[in-house]
Amino acid sequence: MSSLLIPNWLYRFRRQARTDGRGGVVIRPRSLYILPTRQGILLALVLFLMLAGSINYGSNLAYLVTFLLGGIWLSAILHTWRNLLGLMIHPAQVSPVYAGQEARFSLSVTNPSSLRRFGISLRQKKLLGESADLAGEESCLLHLPIPTVHRGRLPLPEVSLHTVYPLGLFHAWSYARLDISCLVYPRPAEAGEPPSDSCYTSSEDGDRGVGADDFVGLRTYREGDSPRHIDWKAFARERGLMSKQFGGDRTERVELDWDLLPAVDTETRLSLLCRFILQAESQAISYGLHLPDLTIAPGMGERHKQRCLAALATFGE
Amino acid sequence: MRQTIDHTLTPKLQLRLYLLTGLVLVPHVQHLPLVVSFFLFTTLGLRFISLRLPKLQPGRLLLFLLTAAGVVLIYNEHQTLMGKDAGVSLLSIMLVLKTLEVRRRRDLYVTIFIAYFVIVTQFLFDNSFLLLIYLLALLVGHTSLLLEINRVSPSRNFFEPYRQTFWITLQALPIAIILFILFPRLGHPLWHFGHDGSAQTGLSERVEPGTISQLIQSSAVAFRVTFKHEPPPPEQRYWRGLVLWDTDGVSWYTDKNNPVPFLSSSIMPTGKPVEYEVLLEPHRKTWLYALDLPAVAPSKSKLSSDFLLHLREPVTRPKQYDGLSFTRHLTSPPTEALRQRALRLGEGITERQRNLVSTWRAASSSDKDMVERALQHFYEREFVYTLNPPRYLKNPVDQFLFEGREGFCEHYATAFTQLMRLAGIPSRMVIGYQGGEHNDLGDYYTIRQYDAHAWSEVWLEGEGWKRVDPTAAVAPERVRSAIQPNFGSVGEPALFRIDSDSLIGSGLRQISMLLDNSSLRWRRWVLGFGQEEQYGLMRGLGLGFLPTGQWGFLLIGLVGLVLALIGVRLVLQGRVKQEQVQVLYQVFCRRMAAIGHPRHAHEGPLDYSVRVCRERPDLANPVRLITKLYIRLRYGEHKTKNNQAAFADQVRRFHPGRS
Repeated sequence: MSSLLIPNWLYRFRRQARTDGRGGVVIRPRSLYILPTRQGILLALVLFLMLAGSINYGSNLAYLVTFLLGGIWLSAILHTWRNLLGLMIHPAQVSPVYAGQEARFSLSVTNPSSLRRFGISLRQKKLLGESADLAGEESCLLHLPIPTVHRGRLPLPEVSLHTVYPLGLFHAWSYARLDISCLVYPRPAEAGEPPSDSCYTSSEDGDRGVGADDFVGLRTYREGDSPRHIDWKAFARERGLMSKQFGGDRTERVELDWDLLPAVDTETRLSLLCRFILQAESQAISYGLHLPDLTIAPGMGERHKQRCLAALATFGE
Repeated sequence: MRQTIDHTLTPKLQLRLYLLTGLVLVPHVQHLPLVVSFFLFTTLGLRFISLRLPKLQPGRLLLFLLTAAGVVLIYNEHQTLMGKDAGVSLLSIMLVLKTLEVRRRRDLYVTIFIAYFVIVTQFLFDNSFLLLIYLLALLVGHTSLLLEINRVSPSRNFFEPYRQTFWITLQALPIAIILFILFPRLGHPLWHFGHDGSAQTGLSERVEPGTISQLIQSSAVAFRVTFKHEPPPPEQRYWRGLVLWDTDGVSWYTDKNNPVPFLSSSIMPTGKPVEYEVLLEPHRKTWLYALDLPAVAPSKSKLSSDFLLHLREPVTRPKQYDGLSFTRHLTSPPTEALRQRALRLGEGITERQRNLVSTWRAASSSDKDMVERALQHFYEREFVYTLNPPRYLKNPVDQFLFEGREGFCEHYATAFTQLMRLAGIPSRMVIGYQGGEHNDLGDYYTIRQYDAHAWSEVWLEGEGWKRVDPTAAVAPERVRSAIQPNFGSVGEPALFRIDSDSLIGSGLRQISMLLDNSSLRWRRWVLGFGQEEQYGLMRGLGLGFLPTGQWGFLLIGLVGLVLALIGVRLVLQGRVKQEQVQVLYQVFCRRMAAIGHPRHAHEGPLDYSVRVCRERPDLANPVRLITKLYIRLRYGEHKTKNNQAAFADQVRRFHPGRS
């Protein structure tokens, strides 16, 4: 289903689908491109052969059927063109990812007319997104995975909506720029421990958290828990492996400080901080973040993590 | 349903493709050599089996061997890979071999395109209306597969893709018709691939006893004639095809190395002209049939001095032409060379023939009298007119005249012509058709192969060439009604067609006339459509002034117009139909946007109104009212006329100014 590729220098003359003033775009006649596919060119060649045969043997019915196929070929242009016409694309959502992962953009494609549309697919240059058939007055979410390299905000590059329906002889498409970007967190560093200076400080409000003095409760066994803390009685009652939790007079707390990191380059520092955040989160250690221009008070939980990671992602912006 | 593109084909879709492939090949079975047909359907059978048992799917090696076998097979059957027959065999084999390697979508395209080509090649062999309908249905079937693979989820309804393809095809039809009418037709092929080898029933250049009696077993149509005015009576409806000047004693022919010169002087008519229009079935010969005797040659044909119409190219598709003939006429005397030719005798002249002629000569005063005597001889000696004459092997004319006395028209005509030459009267043999059946529905005559006939022409001083039909002397009914082909015993008198007056008989006759009538139109306007019809149609449309070179512009213009109309229809179909209420609300939103308060994408009507009222308290009253009415009309139960009118009124009167 490949089409003729457009040389790069021609890109700036391209027309975009028009914005509808509310964040989305509408595909209008003038923003639609259409070219024959390889199959369309092949059929055209076959039709010329048929015509030569018809002329040679002077068969009027052969002429008629050849011309009928020629007519179908021509009207396929219009049908393919119409299949895309009037569709609307709106940005829907995208979840943050770590650099190196694929950003999964979701775009909502709406068919405002009562006509059904078939085989609508989303692409970004050579990256293929999903395809869908749209019933009349229906919307559909199409996902487009885009690989990420750097942390930061990744705006959705120019995408295109494609179709070859009904006959696969022509390929219609329209370019669209949509205002949606994906937050890309730094890639977590593969190794490294928080510097010892980011010491555990005592908690003002006492005995919540991890310690060794008082029994606080049970939690499910995690790898690395000491066998001495396993509640063997619970295990014997077939309640699974449980670890006994002890609270102390201190809560483990870690301050992740930019300045305490070894003097490596910015991106490596951010990667390390990212790793520490994830580590602290998984170990249920309360953590705070100190960046040169921003300080986030210690905390825990999904929202706190996202806030910290977002700060890393947008660092320096 | 949404998904990423999948390039493989489902077994269900493949099954449909292979079924259609088989159906496309079925009509070709009658044209292809038996071995090729066997190869085609065995391979297709293998394809069906391997759909169930994928282990049997042929690998690359087997595929290569099959391809090689196919090519060898074609070469063995046709001694060539070019030309019509070999080309069709090759294309059919390509089609089935392609089905063996269908795996992905693009294979499906190639298979379908070859199938399209195979569909078109069918019309090189057969041009019937039913075949066209059958193949158009298959064309739609194949095309619907393309629709099916280009959508994401398979269609739920079985007929849905067919219906959509049918509409696309129907939209393409006007384009096809425009191209059909305006595309220039060549009168001759681009390349010759040698003899096509398809035999056609009809008269041939050589006649010997038995030729015509075999031909009349066929009821195939030879041609159809519409008379512009009063039709001549049946005994004058002699349609001349060929004049045979030369004989070897057994068969009659015209020496190709010694053609008859073209006509230099016209005939002298002594009666009224007969004007008619002929629609000739393709007979692959280079002559036309005309009523005795043609006065003018239709375009592209030439009249020879024996009043035959000659063409340069054989007739390979139905040909329509106008004729003008005189049934009463005087012809100028033949040149000395032709006169000598019309007296030359073949071998096998016997003493009893000479005796017979000299007894007639002694008793008659003139050549005309001689002719009368000869005819009387056939009548009085009780000759029998039969479809199944005995086989005269040694000397057909002599045996027929003196021993068997049973014969068909060619026996009478050859014997008569030979006797006349023996008597020194220039004479020649003529073959053609006689009679024809009237079609009451279309008011025209259908001349079929069983109307084939042979007769003589003799040169009489003062009268010119005169037609003499010795058959009429024996069986006068022959010239009034057609022969009823029968397979009776040897020598049994010929039966003639008698139209049944019974209810069923006349009913059947009506139906056959109706069929023949539609067949005439089909042949006249579709199969026989050629250069002359193109010119005629252009003149009829008042475009006769346009030179042929400019038809291309007309063609492109008209096709463009049709495409534009289809485009407009498609766009109108896809237009968003909005209710008036929505349109009015959008007017309201636009007016608000114009004064700097546009509605945001995420805002519902109510949120929007709350925000606007906060930002512009002065507009709070009309905005609240409009929003309330809009919500009622759009989502609520109160869709009354009053509410609608109030809403429309409010919006129209709402002209906010900037703060």
